[in-house]
Amino acid sequence: MTEGSVWRLYNGIDPPAAGGFKYTCQSGRETETGPGPGAVTAAKPAPIRKGGWKMIKRVAICGVAQTRYESNKWHQRMQGMALEVVEAIREQTGVTYSEDGGINTVVTCSDDVFDARTISDNAMTDVVGAHYRCEEKVAMDGINAIAYALAIVLSGHDDLVLIVGHCKESQSESRNTCTNLAFDPFYCRPLGLDYLSAAALQARAYMERSGVTDRQLAEVVSHARRNAARNPLANARQPLTAEEVMKSPMLCDPIRALHAYPVSDGAIAVLVAAEERCKEFTDRPVWITGFANCMDSYFLGDRDLAGDFSLRRAAEKAYGMAGVTGAGVFDLVEIDAQYAHQAPMWAEVLGLCPENGGGAWVDSGGLDAANVNPSGGTLAGNPQMLSGLSRAAEAAVQLRGEAGGRQVKGAKRALAHGTCGPAGQHQAVLILES
Amino acid sequence: MKKPKKNRNVGIIGVGQTIYSSHREDVNQAEMVHEAVALALKDAGLTRDDIDCVVHGNMELFEMVHQPDIWHTIATGAYGKSAFRLTTGGTTGTTVVCAADNLVASGLYDIVVAIGFEKLQEGHTTGGITNMADPLWGRHLQTGALTDATAQAMIREFGEERALRAAMRMRVQMDKHACLNPNSHRSFGLDYSQIDDLMKNSPRLVGELRLIHMCSQSDGACAVIFAGEEKAKKLSDKPVWVRDHITVHREETFTMYSLDPADRDPSSHRIAAQRLFERNGITNPVEYFDVFEMYDPSAWWGLDWLRDFMLLDGDEHLKMVENDEILIGGKMVMNPSGGVVAANPIGATAIVRVAEAALQVRGDAGRHQAPGGVRHALASGFGGTYWTVLVMLEKDLDWQEVSADG
Amino acid sequence: MAEFFGATVEDVFKTQDARFRAEDAKGVDAVVAYDITGEGGGRWRVTVRDSRAVTEKVTGSDFGAFTTKITTDAETFIGVTVGKIDGTAAFTSGRVKIEGDMKIVALLPRLFTKYSPPSRGVSARDIIATFPERFRPEAAKGLDAAIGYNLAGEGGGQWTAVVKDGRLEMREGLAENLTVNQTVGARDYVDLMLGKLDPMVAIGAGRLRITGDMEVAKVLPKLFRKYEPKEVERGPELIVLKKTISVGMRFSTGPVMGRFLEGLKGRKIFANVCPSCGRRQLPPREVCAVCRCRAGEFVEVGPEGVLVNVEICYYASPDPLTGETRETPYGTSNILLDGCRGTETFWHYIKREDLFDVKRGSRVRPVWAESRTGSVHDIKYFEMVR
Repeated sequence: MTEGSVWRLYNGIDPPAAGGFKYTCQSGRETETGPGPGAVTAAKPAPIRKGGWKMIKRVAICGVAQTRYESNKWHQRMQGMALEVVEAIREQTGVTYSEDGGINTVVTCSDDVFDARTISDNAMTDVVGAHYRCEEKVAMDGINAIAYALAIVLSGHDDLVLIVGHCKESQSESRNTCTNLAFDPFYCRPLGLDYLSAAALQARAYMERSGVTDRQLAEVVSHARRNAARNPLANARQPLTAEEVMKSPMLCDPIRALHAYPVSDGAIAVLVAAEERCKEFTDRPVWITGFANCMDSYFLGDRDLAGDFSLRRAAEKAYGMAGVTGAGVFDLVEIDAQYAHQAPMWAEVLGLCPENGGGAWVDSGGLDAANVNPSGGTLAGNPQMLSGLSRAAEAAVQLRGEAGGRQVKGAKRALAHGTCGPAGQHQAVLILES
Repeated sequence: MKKPKKNRNVGIIGVGQTIYSSHREDVNQAEMVHEAVALALKDAGLTRDDIDCVVHGNMELFEMVHQPDIWHTIATGAYGKSAFRLTTGGTTGTTVVCAADNLVASGLYDIVVAIGFEKLQEGHTTGGITNMADPLWGRHLQTGALTDATAQAMIREFGEERALRAAMRMRVQMDKHACLNPNSHRSFGLDYSQIDDLMKNSPRLVGELRLIHMCSQSDGACAVIFAGEEKAKKLSDKPVWVRDHITVHREETFTMYSLDPADRDPSSHRIAAQRLFERNGITNPVEYFDVFEMYDPSAWWGLDWLRDFMLLDGDEHLKMVENDEILIGGKMVMNPSGGVVAANPIGATAIVRVAEAALQVRGDAGRHQAPGGVRHALASGFGGTYWTVLVMLEKDLDWQEVSADG
Repeated sequence: MAEFFGATVEDVFKTQDARFRAEDAKGVDAVVAYDITGEGGGRWRVTVRDSRAVTEKVTGSDFGAFTTKITTDAETFIGVTVGKIDGTAAFTSGRVKIEGDMKIVALLPRLFTKYSPPSRGVSARDIIATFPERFRPEAAKGLDAAIGYNLAGEGGGQWTAVVKDGRLEMREGLAENLTVNQTVGARDYVDLMLGKLDPMVAIGAGRLRITGDMEVAKVLPKLFRKYEPKEVERGPELIVLKKTISVGMRFSTGPVMGRFLEGLKGRKIFANVCPSCGRRQLPPREVCAVCRCRAGEFVEVGPEGVLVNVEICYYASPDPLTGETRETPYGTSNILLDGCRGTETFWHYIKREDLFDVKRGSRVRPVWAESRTGSVHDIKYFEMVR
């Protein structure tokens, strides 16, 4: 791969594909500054409630479908991608859209800015089967859509929910332009912050704290590619040696081009049902036994970027719900590392290795020992809106024993992790059991 | 369709609204959201520490902020808490309400705050709405939410004079309510004596849809706090119970026009109302509901949809307007707040309907309180291509035995 | 002239040309007629052309040719001008009426800087009320005089300052035997006190009249300490950032929409058909929403058809894909193309010249663009079949 093509791949500025049409979406904006950003400051949050959670009934994932992830699905609209996975779920589970007992509630997952559409779920109503039905869009990483579906079923509002997530990162000229817009328009946005540069600040902070090296980060990528080679759905499947990774250009120091997840397009569908409905759709239900998510503060300067704040709180609560005491009980762990340094950093928080021990853990084969990201993980290429949802989908596929060449033998309990926002501001932990 | 059986009851225990205005230059988005959240917490007598989870929603392309809950964390109190973001266009405000209800009823969270906001002044509203259309097709043709198809259909059905007059009468009625609501963005002091003048002279937007008929473009935020039954009873002396909710979407393409009205697809509003009322054993909604807060983006839609939502036939909805039955003090009060034509911060608009309906049930609506004790209230959200969400609120929990049988 | 919110209509137009911002007026050629009704009203015409602005008072009833005419009452006009009344609300509720080109109205705030009424907030009455605290007894030694202040207009009144034995007493009204009498408009008095109006100019122009003992009149300025206006209470000036956000996008068309757009290039309109219910979809969709199955074969429909729903839009909105404002009025319609039934309509523009001739049921045909690229604009519009 030449340096030029790497740049194109990661900046998403390759020329329009055949049959593609280029449009610009623009509108004048006037944004008030107000007395000043940060006037509303966050106080120290109350301690999180651990344990004592009891789900009123058991809820399971009864079907999972994913498209192949590609850097540019120029041949499909987002509707086409979504339809592919919806049809696969129907085929797989035999679920119908009958008003009586079929799918009446659909939770989609995507984002208006990435989709370049106001109310982008408007485009999906028919393909997800929600015509004259309920559809609600979770506009954040789709792992949270599973949690929302869980809540719908537990609440008794419905006993069957179809989740459809989709994202075409290739559609915008640069995903960094999109994520730059997540920052306040007065201070952080003009500074040029986006999710990549925020992750780079985090990577530097983590390297300084833990002493993790450029070589160890390269090993993380190499490991991801090794696993991705066994995953026919992965985007980036070409094996890479650590040396090759270390030679890749700096994308945003210290993040190298190959440390970052590639621009990816794809869609995922997941069918979630109450226990009493599961047998209609599958004989291998995957039980949702724990979930929590947590938001960190907004300004990067207010946060310990290499810290554990929101992930630790989410993990402790989820572990409490599932009644597990530590990461040792998981047969596999899908970590949503969008950048190489996040794999060891968040492994530390989840309890897979000691604090500041992430680098040594990578060196000693910890990733394989703990079955981290047998799918290749987000580094092998999942769009950002689906990075956690694809972790959950992969974990469910493993627990169903359907993971083919990447199957972890006898996997019974898995952790799936998802994150959104700059440098992991929002963290979610999902625990699944067969 | 199966009737949902709620795992546990959910009560509204706090409501916070900013004023609605065309210009909130004095605050930025986060500060405006914080106003609503702080007011809701104050209303509920809670602090940020009491909240388990924050649900946030709006429409990103109006302000061009991607996932604004990320930035607004400094305002919502989500720091260190569970947080969700749901968006469904105009219905977003009711979707975050449904989500909060589901999240609390599930038992996963005890206290959830739902937040809707929009600062429409910061972008171009009509342009932002037009962006909802397919970039390859409708985006070139659409003009925001402006259409006079409903006006034309009503003129065909009821005659020009009666239809024009009824729509303008409803507009004046909404304004009379808006004048009693201190949060209103627009309260003109309109009077029935102006109907003829406005019918002729209000500038046309599209055909018979005139400027006075159409909703405003507002800045504002609204937050509502939900709690499980046990906590709701402990924390509030008048919790408002969320009885049920329903969401009905329809396909993107506008397959809703035909030469023969019999060919038309059923209205998503009527379908939602039918399904919701049937599973809750409500046969006569006009009799049952004391207050209906409808998401009425224009007087034409408000008038037409009254028939669908209340399952009326023929010209019953026109008569309700002509006989002032929807006015405060009337048989079934519609939009005592003044409705959406009085204030429309889009991402907040639908949650404002729920907030206002809850205040009515509590008896805390102030000057625009409907008299006689509001026990049953309905709130609607509108968005997308004729999407609808309905939320039913109750003063007492006594409906449960009734609906368990029916 | 009647004053509202501290200004008259005349005040506003007198400063109109001085407030012109030529830098934003390039290419603007417009005549705006103002018909300000009621007390304090009048007629003005503002011409903006060749980066210049000329404001003239119109006598008689004929404005001559104008681009845009704004009709409103004086109170509303001034209220909107000084920002005390919401302009959109005034327009919506019918208090402001606009004829002709609406776009100019939206442009006006950029063409002219905002009018601020002079000495906002301080009235002559306020200043009179500060006499006792500003009185200097040492300067009044041996003086025995009754000084009249006859200040006409809003915020004015009549007062007499009685000075005797080094003491001051203020009385309402003018005393019978005044030593000195000053007659001046209340607004001019405020301007005099604020140093905005030169006393000699005011006397020369006849706006300030002083009668009585001129020797006493000369010592008057020494009797009081200088009037210091209080800081006008205003919040800090908040900054508003203006940004145009543009994210380049490349939309795939996919095999379904792509096929349809490809058809347009060859002057053909393709619908796809639901294999279950037979519904024809325009533009084609991946699925039939009703039957929840993949839509099937493509069939050519039209190109002629009848109008089902005609919408004539007067609201000038920008095309979000280009940022350009559409010319109004324009018409769109849902068209039932030949071969389609019921609600299977096709959405497109109506030819501008046909707008007011067509109605529901009118027969129309597409007018194809010369160069076609596979977009909605491959059809320019539909025109009436006459």
